[in-house]
Formats: sequence, C-alpha cells, structure tokens
Amino acid sequence: MKPRSIHHVDLDAFFASVEELLDPAISGLPIIVGGDPQGRGVVASCSYAARAFGVHSAMPVAQALRLCPQAIVRHGHHSVYAAYSRRVMAILAEYTPLLEQISIDEAFLDVTGSDRLFGAPETLAHTIQNRIQVECGLPSSLGVAGNKLVAKIASARAKPRGVLVVPSGQEAAFLAPLTIDRLWGVGDVTADRLRKEGISTIGKLAALPLRDMERLFGNGAAGMHRRALGIDDRPVVTEWHRKSVSQERTFARDVSSIEVLMHCLLQMSEEVAAQLRKDGDCARTVVLKMRYPDFTTITRRVTLAQPTNLAEVLHQEASQLLRREWKRGAQLRLIGIGATGLVRGRQLALFDDHSEQLSRLSRAVDKIRSRYGRDSIRRAALLETSESPEEQPPREGNGRPMV
Amino acid sequence: MRFSCLQENLAKGLATVGRAVATRSTLPVLSNILLATEEGRLKLSATNLEVGINCWIGAKVEEDGATTIPARLLADFVNSLPPERIEVQLITRTQTLSLKCANYEANVKGIDAQEFPIIMTLGDDMTVNLEPQALREMINQVAFAAALDESRPVLTGVLAELSGSRLTMAAADGFRLSVRSSDLAAAAPESVSVIIPARALQEVARVSAEEENPIRMSVASNRSQVFFHMTNIDVVSQLVDGNFPDYKQIIPKSHSTRTVVDSVALLQAIKIASYFARDSANIVRLRITPGEAGSGGRLTVMANSAELGDNVTEMGAEVEGAAIEIAFNAKYLLDVFSVISAPKVALETSNPQSPGVIRPVGDDRFIHVIMPMHIAR
Repeated sequence: MKPRSIHHVDLDAFFASVEELLDPAISGLPIIVGGDPQGRGVVASCSYAARAFGVHSAMPVAQALRLCPQAIVRHGHHSVYAAYSRRVMAILAEYTPLLEQISIDEAFLDVTGSDRLFGAPETLAHTIQNRIQVECGLPSSLGVAGNKLVAKIASARAKPRGVLVVPSGQEAAFLAPLTIDRLWGVGDVTADRLRKEGISTIGKLAALPLRDMERLFGNGAAGMHRRALGIDDRPVVTEWHRKSVSQERTFARDVSSIEVLMHCLLQMSEEVAAQLRKDGDCARTVVLKMRYPDFTTITRRVTLAQPTNLAEVLHQEASQLLRREWKRGAQLRLIGIGATGLVRGRQLALFDDHSEQLSRLSRAVDKIRSRYGRDSIRRAALLETSESPEEQPPREGNGRPMV
Repeated sequence: MRFSCLQENLAKGLATVGRAVATRSTLPVLSNILLATEEGRLKLSATNLEVGINCWIGAKVEEDGATTIPARLLADFVNSLPPERIEVQLITRTQTLSLKCANYEANVKGIDAQEFPIIMTLGDDMTVNLEPQALREMINQVAFAAALDESRPVLTGVLAELSGSRLTMAAADGFRLSVRSSDLAAAAPESVSVIIPARALQEVARVSAEEENPIRMSVASNRSQVFFHMTNIDVVSQLVDGNFPDYKQIIPKSHSTRTVVDSVALLQAIKIASYFARDSANIVRLRITPGEAGSGGRLTVMANSAELGDNVTEMGAEVEGAAIEIAFNAKYLLDVFSVISAPKVALETSNPQSPGVIRPVGDDRFIHVIMPMHIAR
C-alpha cells in the first residue's frame, strides 16, 4: 500500500479563541473557559496567555485562579462554539470527502493522492491553516503524517499556530525522543509506572523486548509496541454510526473492594446509558473490562434478551459479570463498562412494568440534567462517600473507544 | 423382564417420551426412560419433574418386569437398528438390559425402576374432551407467545380458562399477547382457570400429531397438575403457580386505522424484510396509506441496515382510517403470521407507540397483540 497522507487539524485553545473573537478587548489576555470557581468546576479551555501561568485544561478553576488571579473567566457559549466548529469543518470538507471529525475542534483528513490538486502535503497544511485563520479568525495547528496516530501527535507538537510534517518512514524516529505520555493508550498512571521502570521516552518503549512488554501491558503488548513504532492502520472514518459507548476508570491506587468497584460501575453505567439515550440507541451487549495491576486486561460480555438504554440494566449485568469473575484478594487498576451491539429502536413493553417505569424516570432525569446541569439530580447511591476511590481526572479529548 | 417388539414401535415410543427426559438433572434416574411391561404391552415413561410422558407400545411380553435405561444411549442405539424385531431381556441382578436385533447386540446398564418417580395417573378430576385437531391449532397459535426467560414465571405458561362450553388459551411474554378460544362439544362441569407451562402444551401438540380420538384434559382437584390422556399416550404437567395478568385489559378497545391484506403476501414480505432487519434489531417498518373512497390503499413493508442495504415491498390493502407508520420486531410478526391460516388478516393500529392488533378476517376466535418498537428520531 502506498503511504497515505493524513492531516490532523486541531484548533488552538478553541473555546478561549472564540471568546477573544466575541470580545476583542480581552484578546491576548489570560482567558479561562470553565465552570464556577466556587464549586468544583474545571477548566474546559484556556488561552495561551493563561497557559503561560501553568493553567491547563481539566484543572479545577479555583486552582487555575490561584496560579493566574488576573485571568478572565468565561462560562462558555456552547452554541457559538458549535457554529464556529461547523464553519471550520465546512472548509476542511472542501479538500476531501474523507473527513473524520473527532471532536468539536479536531478532525482528520485523508488527502492521499491529491498533491496535483492542492500541492505537497505541507503546502496544503499551510493553505488550510491560513483559510481557517482568515475566514473564521481562529488559530489552528496541523500535523501531517502517514497515519492518524502520528498525525495527531505531530499537531500537538506543532502547537500553537504550527504545521509539522512527519515524512513517511520517519514515524518511529519522530516519536522516539518524545515523552511516554504523548503516546495514545498511555495515561498518567501508566506513564508514572513506566517512568519508574526507567522508560521515559517512546523510543525506549519501542526498544523493549517482547517479554518486558508483556509483563508491562499483558495482552495489550503487541498493540502498544506497534504504536510506539508509529504504526497505525486505522482508516479515516467519514460517516460513522457509533458502534459502542463505553466508560472506564483508571484508579490512582489499585482497588481491592468489590463494593467500590460496583459503585464505580453504577456511576459509569449512568454515563453510558445517558449517552445511549442521547444518541437514540439501545445496546444488545454489555461488556465489562478489568485490568489487573500486572496489566493483564480481560473483557467479559453478556448479550441481553432485549436491548437496553437503562443504567439499572447495564449496572446489573456488569455487576453480575464482575461478581462471576471476582476472586478474593484481587485488585484492579482499571474497570470499564461498555455497551455494544447498538440498535436504533426500543421494543415497547406490553405491561407497564418496572422497565417502562425506569425508562420514563430516566428520560425525566435526562431532561432535568439538560436544563439544570449534570449534578442537579443524582442517585442517593452516588452521593459522595468516603468509599469513592481516587480517580485519575479525565483529560481533554480523552475519549477512547474501549471495544 | 423379557419381551420383544418391532424396532419402529420402540423407536417411535422413545421419541415420544424423549422430550420429557431431564437434560441437566442432579438426579441420575431422570436422564433415564422407564421401561415396564403392563397388561401385555410395554410402557415407556420419562419425566423432568415438570412434565411427564407415558407411552404404550405393542410388545410380546414373555416375563413382566421394569427398569430404567439412559435415554440418550437407548434411543441412539434403537434408531440405528434395522426395522426388525428386537429381543429384550433384563438381567435383574445387574440391572443390565440386553437388546438383540438382527446381527446387532447391546447390553445397557440401567438404574432400578424403584428409583423412578411415579407419574400421576388420572383420578376423579374435572375432565373435558377436546378435539385433537382444534387443540393442536390452539396450542400452535398461543404457546409461542409465552416468555422463554424465567424472570416472571407465570408468563412462561399459557393461561387456560374453561367456562361453560368454551376453552380460551392466552399467552404473553411482555411484548406480545396471543389469545385463542374454541368451543367444546359439551360444557365443562365447572369453570377452571389454570396456567400450563408452554413447554408442556407444545409437547401435547407434538405427541398428539397422529391422534384421532378426543383428548381428555383433566385438572387435578388440588389444581396442581394437568393431565392429557390420549389413546396410547399420557402427558402430565405441573401447573404454574401465580396470577396471570389480566390480558383482557391489554387488548385495545379501539383503533384509528384498520388494514386488511392478503395473509400469504404479507408473510412473504415480512420474511424478506426480516433478512434485512437482522442487523438492526429486527426492526420492520409498516407504512399504511389509505386510498381514495375505501379502495387503492397500500401497505409498504420496509427494512434497512446501515451496513447491509434495504428492502421495500408494496402491496395493495383495504385501509380504513388514517395513514400511519409503525415499526415492529420482524420475529414477532413472522411468529404470528405463520400461525394464521385465514386468507386475509386485519391489522388494527392507533399510533406508533400503541399496540397493534392482528386478527384473521372472518374468524373472531383468534386475536394477537404486539407492542411496536420505538424508533429514535
């Protein structure tokens, strides 16, 4: 197969940049878009001027304001962001039909074979960047490589307002000096662990013998090795119907209490179920993912008689899988729940039974949350308790498909 | 015990009782079939403690006796034999059954017949006579709608109501309801309402395939068992304890659209659509369009799958009422249209979230209700 030409386009500090457009007076100042500093709001986006003070996304707003007291806090104009996002995506769509939008401010383009039309990949990258700046007033960074994995890392390296091209054949060499946490599939906890082993760069990871990789990553070793070498065959997916919805948590400290794990599953079941309902999907299969401290990762699945979009059903099935798999004294570093086999239709029930009542209740809760916020209503079982395990906070753009 | 019988007879008898053999039991004798001589015939019995079947076959009995033999091995061996006479003898001391047929011979180890549970025989219970053909049809039209999962035990059964000279059977699995009634030749001595396991009724339908005489159905006076007595076969079943939901409440009293179509054409259209619906939750959409002045109405059957493709079948229909588009699980539609023999069927609908009612035109003894599927956006 001839080398592909994949561009990863990422808008720089997107929400903050839009805020600057809305209010030119604050342009260039430290801007934080995020939640309420009095509560537990976190930074959703921040301008580069704010980043200079050490502020970064996912940080509690209160902490960000301690680092940078003069920062201007905006609570977000999501419909405006969405409108700008659509304008940017419309520009990108002019260059290729192979366009995969992965979030509000990021997209992959497969422009393989369009050199004659648009010039060399680097030229095209600058053209796109320029058009986004001129037509939408937004700064962006582009990474260009032979696959999505490397293109995305390249755009992150190019930030802000940069273009970085990784020539074909240079992928492994490009990744080698980068720190380990840049690699897809390496979260903070894994990165810490690798650093303790003396593996600080992607190059060191790529050079590890298979035996060490298996010890570190269990059955994920082969995939991790390929990624460390910059190999990724995933195509740019243009039109996709979501195939699965999943959630997972990596614990800061391994968890040995099944009650804590069940509690965690309930929380994630709610999120997965809400997403299913939002997309109008029901899931036929529930998947439980467990990762042990030695990185061995197993998944267990059960197929339901009737597809569901109810947290209660997901939780019940996942708990049952967990109980069946659980051995006394075991510990987990990660637990995840997934819903797959998605279908766009729900069989209505003949009797007004428990599941119909739950269905109505869930829709009512969805409505309340969409109006008054996610934390406006919650299950008694999910009130903060001392039992809640410490979790790794989620990072921006961290939505990884599990199954 | 010593007897001889024809291979065909024994094979058929074993097949008759075989479905009642317990498949996963902690009691080893329940995996066996009881063989006992009885008044010059051979009696075969099997039970899983929920359903029991007795079957009598012709045999030349030379010495009375009884034993139980592993069902699977015995049936596999007998089915492999040529259609000739089998000589059977029990070596009592070792409970080993010796079988000889043509040049084949086998010794099969059994378990003492004393350990086999006694299957109830007919007492002075409430009894009605049922026409075998009508009973089989009733069972076929109702039992499939019973629930397979055990989360609500009463729904795994078929409600059988005897009142006057009318027998009504109803089954529902939470998503559909099937109701069929039938007139008896004579009034029942008393009104009875029992829940019979759907599996047991399906066995009755199966084993009565060649029955020509009326089948005697009896309900034990303590309402714990039901008994079906045929010429050479008895089926006995435990009854399901509990209250069946009030199914009459579920049958919609009104509708806004009534669509009459050719049964065969509709079944064919749904079958085709079901292939395309396999990947998308079995969703089949029915679009009903009234014509002008009561004629020229259309029914469109549609299915699509994002990955596989789509399918549309259009047919003429007599439509009374408003246009509607409603989605159903293809399997439920296939199940019901497969058991309707009337040339035309009527589908009554109100709105896409309310149950659809299916009736064979010109036969008010059968009614079927299916809940639709809700399609997101």
